[in-house]
Amino acid sequence: MTPLPALVLLPIVGGGLAWLAERIQPHTASPARDASWWVALGILIVETLLLVLVTVRHPDHAGPWLGHFSTPWIPAMGIAVRLDMDGLSLSLIWLSLILCFLCLFLATRQVTVNAGAFHFLFLATLTGIIGTFLATDLFLFFFFWELMLVPMFVLIAAWGHEDRQRAAMKFFMFTQGSGLLMLLSILGLVIAHYRESGVLTFDYFTLARTPLSPALSMLLMLGFFTAFAVKLPVVPVHVWLPDAHTQAPTAASVLLAGILLKTGGYGMIRFNVMLFPDAASRFAPIAMGLGVAGILYGAWLSCAQDDVKRLIAYSSISHMGFVLLGIFTGSRIGMQGAIIQMLAHGLGTAALFLVAGAIQERLHTRDMHRIGGLWAAMPRLSSTGLFFAVAALGMPGLGNFTGEFLVLLATWHVSPTIATLTTAGLVLSAIYALRMVNRIFLAAARADLRPVRDIPARQMAVFACVMAFLVVLGLYPQPFMTFSTPSPLPVTDVTGQTAATP
Amino acid sequence: MIGHDVFLPAPLLAVPSGIMVMLAATVWRRSAGRSLACAMVTLLLALAVVGRHTGGRPDNGDSLFIQDRWTSYTAALIIFSTLCILLMSWRDRGHDGTTRVDEYSLLFMLGTLGALAMVFSANYMPFFLGLEILGVSITGLATFRYRPVMAGCEAAMKYLILSGVSSAIFLFGTGLAYGVTGSLRFTPPVAAGGMPAALPVAATVMVLAGMFFKLSAAPFHMWLPDVMEGAPVPVAAFVAVVSKIAIFSALVRYFGTGAQPPFLNDIVSVVIILTIMAGNLLALRQTSLTRLMACSSIAHVGYLLIAFLCPGHVQSGAITVYLAAYAASTLGVFATMTAFASPDGPDGTRIAQWRGLFFSRPFLASAMALMLFSLAGIPPGIGFLAKFEVAATGVEHQRDVLLCTLIIGSIIGLYYYLNIIRIMMTAPLLPAHPLKRHARPELAALVIVLTIIVVIGGLFPARAIHPLLPAPPAPPGLPDGMTH
Repeated sequence: MTPLPALVLLPIVGGGLAWLAERIQPHTASPARDASWWVALGILIVETLLLVLVTVRHPDHAGPWLGHFSTPWIPAMGIAVRLDMDGLSLSLIWLSLILCFLCLFLATRQVTVNAGAFHFLFLATLTGIIGTFLATDLFLFFFFWELMLVPMFVLIAAWGHEDRQRAAMKFFMFTQGSGLLMLLSILGLVIAHYRESGVLTFDYFTLARTPLSPALSMLLMLGFFTAFAVKLPVVPVHVWLPDAHTQAPTAASVLLAGILLKTGGYGMIRFNVMLFPDAASRFAPIAMGLGVAGILYGAWLSCAQDDVKRLIAYSSISHMGFVLLGIFTGSRIGMQGAIIQMLAHGLGTAALFLVAGAIQERLHTRDMHRIGGLWAAMPRLSSTGLFFAVAALGMPGLGNFTGEFLVLLATWHVSPTIATLTTAGLVLSAIYALRMVNRIFLAAARADLRPVRDIPARQMAVFACVMAFLVVLGLYPQPFMTFSTPSPLPVTDVTGQTAATP
Repeated sequence: MIGHDVFLPAPLLAVPSGIMVMLAATVWRRSAGRSLACAMVTLLLALAVVGRHTGGRPDNGDSLFIQDRWTSYTAALIIFSTLCILLMSWRDRGHDGTTRVDEYSLLFMLGTLGALAMVFSANYMPFFLGLEILGVSITGLATFRYRPVMAGCEAAMKYLILSGVSSAIFLFGTGLAYGVTGSLRFTPPVAAGGMPAALPVAATVMVLAGMFFKLSAAPFHMWLPDVMEGAPVPVAAFVAVVSKIAIFSALVRYFGTGAQPPFLNDIVSVVIILTIMAGNLLALRQTSLTRLMACSSIAHVGYLLIAFLCPGHVQSGAITVYLAAYAASTLGVFATMTAFASPDGPDGTRIAQWRGLFFSRPFLASAMALMLFSLAGIPPGIGFLAKFEVAATGVEHQRDVLLCTLIIGSIIGLYYYLNIIRIMMTAPLLPAHPLKRHARPELAALVIVLTIIVVIGGLFPARAIHPLLPAPPAPPGLPDGMTH
């Protein structure tokens, strides 16, 4: 009896309960008594317990995979509900859960309209994300990949800020359209395997053994790459991101930046590099070039923003460039650096979005021209903001530094030129991060600043936990690096038939 | 020659009997309610006997009708759709006593009879009769719109004239085919010795043109938005779902499921590209929901034709699932429209009227959103699987151009489907719109049933994928796809 299906289904079922809870007991005057919030919290706690169970239990089979579940779904098409968990998916699910707790404690209570529906969609997104991290049947993977867009679309379109609907449409169309290319690639791979072996299957491990011609594998890899590149995002197809992040409600911004972008990185590791290792290595120079372009472009535009959330969004593009760079260096260190960078960016950027959300909630603006000198009024929030801004610029001792350093190290072995250019991105990141801190927190207090309330101490405690995570990631990343490495099973399958599928 | 043949599929016996009873009842005393009830009972009966037949099937293949799993499937789909549409029309029945009369359901039954005849036919004659019965019934039904009267008349006139033209083209093709082969069997003519090769090609193309006209494939698609907009909402659903399933079923029967001859391949490929692009691009600028659904229906015909053109291992599943997905989702949208409409308020045909529905009627809006997502091919609706399978057929044959069209069309389609959802999410102009809500349990039930079908079909579709198509000349590939 494996808990993996429960892990996937629990959030959406629990979300339904949360919605029902709100409809049974309509929203009362005090937000603290919100029934749907409590149900959502309970669901997340149960989910965490399940995840602890998965983490500590001894896998009941040999091999590096921690969990496995499989049952036929559409036998006529060779489609199965197949879930497998390795260190990479487990660590990303942990990240997702931590961020969901952050959202619940710091952001979703501010939702006053239709809170039940909000929590349902919030948890439904979580189901899509966890399913994406676990699915090893390509059809199922694509199902979850598309499924997580729907609740996120509604979250942005219904609860977002002033220009929310345009941003939501853009987000949906970019990700869905690129997803269709991935669909074609999946089908192409399946049909190629069918021609080769006469077996129609969508199983990841079986398909990884398909012999492909170089041209075909490059074509299929590009289909996957496009979908993941839009999600990550990589520079020419990043257009949806600044709008979506800026317009989304705080909790959705956190989910978007913290986890949804990571599904792109996860997909690149799991599918691009591991399914098509040869094509990926041939494509690596272009991918690394795009990564550097993303780092510089994101950081450059981030320097020019006045909108706080937009600034953070562009900095995400820059940070995700490191992930792309690390994945395609082709070395183990680069991969580990990319994963550490994903975890650290997830935590740090989520916290920054929460800080920005708190500022907007109090001042009703995101324009840095109209915010200034908050330090005196809100010392707690300001110090939090300072900490995470410094983390974003890559301060040694914090998680981002570890990730960026490892990526740079790996890149240097491949191409010193790219590594040098990347370092310029680090300088730019220092500029935008410090500029943001200066303008929002440190500048002279504005005369027309309304009296505001600082964040309460218990929220500060929540932020402190995230800070602790980042510090641990920065000072002692070794256990995370070894733990979160993707299980190398399919890669060995390509070269030799020694490893058995779990 | 065919006088001794008594082979008759049971639905073709049940539906005309029901129509006779309805006619007799009309003579005795006119009552719209009794007529509707009689129609429902007949349809349920026909649904129950959909796989049965009378008499023995002649072996020489010269019978008028044919019956296999494909006919049973499409006939069941047609009967089920008509049942849904009749349920949608229930509301209109008592509303306006002067115009709503019992021939309304009678015409629906006649149209269903025509559609069934097309599905079961193995000969040009019953097919043409079915085509005409369906066409004439739709002409009558389209005029049932009473507000504004002119719109209904215009729709009916347009349909009458254009359907007459297409029937004439089809009939010409039939005549040529008969000239070539000397038989009225419902298959593409093959040139006998000494015939010019162009004659069967011309015959096939004319038959195809007639069918494309009814199927509203580009470049014969222009009539559909006008007719659907002018007709009452249930009739629009009938045009979009029942008549298209019938004609598509006959198309598959006529051309078979094997590889198509090269000239046909090229023609249909061009038609597919035109259809998908025309449907989606036309839908972009629509402000009327029925027109938008008409355009989306044109586009879906294009997607469906891709599966028709790509025989192989996944074709059968793709076509069956796509038909079911299209029928359920489209009916769902129309059922939601009927449930949304109120006699003294908006009738739901303008997109702008749907503004803020998520706030005023969240469940209706959610159902509508689910149907639209399903049409756009997004999980968890059954449309996701359908689009997936259609893409699989295309990939299997490496139809790169068609696949690109499919993707571009889907992205455009996503825009206008999402746009409706966006409008439903926009805050309403007037807070708390005080509209009298009419309890309509039958519509609520219909919407719920269709929602369940769409969701369950999307999540557990394994049972829907059976080899249902008529057996192609070539073996269809490996029967088992299991890996473990």
